[in-house]
Amino acid sequence: MSAVEQLKEAAPSPSADVPSSPAMGAPTSWWAPSPLTRVDRAASWALFAAAFTALLAVEQAVGFTRDESVYFAAAQSASRWFQLLWTHPAEAFTDAAIVRAWDFNHEHPVLLKSLFGLSHLLFHDALGWVRPATAYRLPAFAFAALIPLLVYRMGLGLFGRAAALFAASSFLLVPRHLFNGVLACFDVPVAAMWLLVVYLFWRSREDARWGLLSGLAFGLALATKHNALFLPLVLLPFAAHQAWRATAAAPSGRHTLVQLAALYTVVAGLFGLLALILGPVGFQRRFVLLSPHTLLFLVAVVGTGVLLAQLRTRADGAFRAVLPLGAMAVLGPAVFYLHWPYLWHHPVDRAAWYLRFHAQHVHYAWFYLGTLLRAPPFPLAYVVVKTALTVPTSLFVPMVTGLLAVVGRALLALPARTRAWVRPVSFGEALVAVNALVPIAIISHPQVPHFGGVKHWLPAMPFLVLLAGAAVVRAGRSLAERTPGRALAGPLVAVLSVLLLAPALWGTWRVWPYGTAAYSELAGGLPGAASLGMQRQFWSSHVTGVLPWINTHAPHGARVYLHEVNGYSFRDYQANGMLRPDLRPAAGPGDSHIAAYQYHQEFRAHEYDIWQAYGTTHPVTGLYVDETPQVVVYVKP
Amino acid sequence: MRALPALELVALVVAGLLALVFHWRLPHTLPDEEDYRQVGKHLSAHARPGDAVVLQPWWTDRARLYLPPTLPLWSDVHNATRDYVEAERLWVLSQPLLPRSDAAGFARDFLPGRTPEGPPVRFGTLELTAYRNGRHRHEAFRATRAVASAQVYLEDLRSGERTSCPWDGKAHRCPGPSHLYVAPEWREVDFAPLRCLWMHAPGGPVRLVAEFPDVPSSALLRLEAGIVGEHAVQKGPRVTPAHLGVDDAATGEALLQLTLAPGTEGLERVDRPARPREGPRTLKVWTQSDLAELRWDCLDVAALGAPAQEGY
Repeated sequence: MSAVEQLKEAAPSPSADVPSSPAMGAPTSWWAPSPLTRVDRAASWALFAAAFTALLAVEQAVGFTRDESVYFAAAQSASRWFQLLWTHPAEAFTDAAIVRAWDFNHEHPVLLKSLFGLSHLLFHDALGWVRPATAYRLPAFAFAALIPLLVYRMGLGLFGRAAALFAASSFLLVPRHLFNGVLACFDVPVAAMWLLVVYLFWRSREDARWGLLSGLAFGLALATKHNALFLPLVLLPFAAHQAWRATAAAPSGRHTLVQLAALYTVVAGLFGLLALILGPVGFQRRFVLLSPHTLLFLVAVVGTGVLLAQLRTRADGAFRAVLPLGAMAVLGPAVFYLHWPYLWHHPVDRAAWYLRFHAQHVHYAWFYLGTLLRAPPFPLAYVVVKTALTVPTSLFVPMVTGLLAVVGRALLALPARTRAWVRPVSFGEALVAVNALVPIAIISHPQVPHFGGVKHWLPAMPFLVLLAGAAVVRAGRSLAERTPGRALAGPLVAVLSVLLLAPALWGTWRVWPYGTAAYSELAGGLPGAASLGMQRQFWSSHVTGVLPWINTHAPHGARVYLHEVNGYSFRDYQANGMLRPDLRPAAGPGDSHIAAYQYHQEFRAHEYDIWQAYGTTHPVTGLYVDETPQVVVYVKP
Repeated sequence: MRALPALELVALVVAGLLALVFHWRLPHTLPDEEDYRQVGKHLSAHARPGDAVVLQPWWTDRARLYLPPTLPLWSDVHNATRDYVEAERLWVLSQPLLPRSDAAGFARDFLPGRTPEGPPVRFGTLELTAYRNGRHRHEAFRATRAVASAQVYLEDLRSGERTSCPWDGKAHRCPGPSHLYVAPEWREVDFAPLRCLWMHAPGGPVRLVAEFPDVPSSALLRLEAGIVGEHAVQKGPRVTPAHLGVDDAATGEALLQLTLAPGTEGLERVDRPARPREGPRTLKVWTQSDLAELRWDCLDVAALGAPAQEGY
């Protein structure tokens, strides 16, 4: 029996994902995979509430990253369209009105931006409960808070309550997760949506309704950010394997399964043939309502429906295994199209532009181990190294041991000689491990743009904290086994959890709110990372550290050059009471009275430009976090 | 296999404990404002013209807030390896307790040719040590300081025609694009600040020339130059080499020449030892590049004495 074959389960219930374990004097549900009880449901919602509250409590100090202010503006534009939809629905549906509202920042889909805009309309404009930035950010908090909830529920089903609690608690204790969780951006939300899709996929083996929901969630994930495009590729092997096994004793079901695979293979082949014959431009131009392209898509949709209905009657297990992918294939594009008004009149051209934009994304300069990376090929180890240097070491180590344990067990299960040594890797464990690795593998490709800190592989992190939770419980219990009576498992795991979570909390508290500067103990913290030659901040949000000084010292009406802070952010700082309204933005040091330089290695020239323009090399103040310069302020003598 | 969970437990416990120790220790490795103020006072009292401050680690730029503005302060990636020829004495302000401070690595590159004048003086976690700079050279001439006395013009290599670039009190400005001027400026070359002569090549078979009269003869004539900022890394058909040179204006003899090929990062340098019986002369410093759009060159020319070390 191969390792892959060992991804089996006796029953589709998630509680059977790993073999049950001895109670060791504590309630079984703390240590073994357990079904979701009423208590656990409440606990998961409590985690959601705690995370949401924590994000709300700490967000005010976080500055506006360059992209976040763009999304604020896009959200504002979206909310204007919703108002138009309310007052003049017929006009709102015209392409002119749509372009007016949705053309801005059309490099990203609009689920989140729409929610940001509606939240702003409700909580700031209508109710006046919160400042503008907080109102925009509220939906992002909800998405971020969804991660502890889902991690808890999945962890409970896979590893038990103790591991689930550790995993759910640890996600937002990674400083960069907390920082990204605060922002009205898409990176943590897409991590939440990725997790949601996988969670629903995993549960779809219990009940077909979860499968349908996973298709819907996939559509919403596509509407969140393009990372979601990779999800079907990750889930396909699991679905195929499960379905294949489930039809072993049902030849007619196997036959339908093969037909389903053939349908997708033929449709994909014909699409490829069309692209080959017409060329990329012709393929796109001829993709209209009445075209072979549409026909092929309809064949796939109808064929999926018919074959899934057949499969349900012939092999229900196989049906539940492949239903999520069928739902994703049908509902994914439909939700993506419907949610984005910008696509309504020109779906193909505008979707093609969107995909092309991300396929050919520009590269931003990025400081890494003493080298300024400007263009590909980027170092293969970049993502792993950056993760090791930014995730608190006390959480990174259990992530690594948790992942190694699963991979090691899978490898040892391959040869017959060692198979008996290990417990088989369950379907759920394999699902978690693969999803922990794939987002990292995608960004590790040397041709993929490397910038933005860790945000591009955030979808891997919920799965890594799940593995960390399993590792912590395993280690705690191994200690308990060596103690008399074995009754100490609970306290020992609790102590070990505190020992591992406390440094993460301490490090987060220390660096907050300057999240893009967070580095782990392994890096030597921020000073160590500076000496290693790592990017110490980016996208200008740390300017909040010097705004109080500028507000106090700038002459009335002074022109202020906030280096790297775009015009939207300047406006937002003023709109949110963080920067005096009389101050005016300057385009550069030449036309400014005060300059706040963002200390980046790739921007050193900008500081020397200030020296040149101001005739001094001496700043008046600055933001220095653990001694590292972040923002340096000069005043024209 | 039974030992693996125990091994995992040890790894986790060690990681947790070390992480806690790290966070407990970190604040004790950092200087406070008073430490910096004391360093500033010490340097105000003891530094003299010709001194410079070097930071270690190089990025500990916060010191700039507190040190006397008259003292040159170096805080870039080349801190350990630079010669600092203009400085007779170097004050190294180090923070050896910082994580990954790598004081030993700094010392390996920095110490050769330098002698400490005494033991380090400590101000909290800061350490200040004065070194006699054996790589110092007496400076008889430096183009960036003599630019006001220079005669600047554009020289067409086909016709020999010269177009004057008059001095406006800050720069010699040439007719044509606004970047065609000669002036001492702060520019970035290879992530470090460089006080250099901005001499952007005009493009085509035309040179931008600065003539410096009465440059005294000394042990070494040095031309150093680099392409500014990210333009240095540019390559491709739109980028051509930048040629720079120093000629004897009277005889036309080429004394020094440099070519900055596309993609060349950092400061390039070429030296010419003095020859017997050489007297003061007019130096003709020039730049030229066929396609000059991305050739933002900045240069300096210096007449330097023998290394100070020889005299110790």
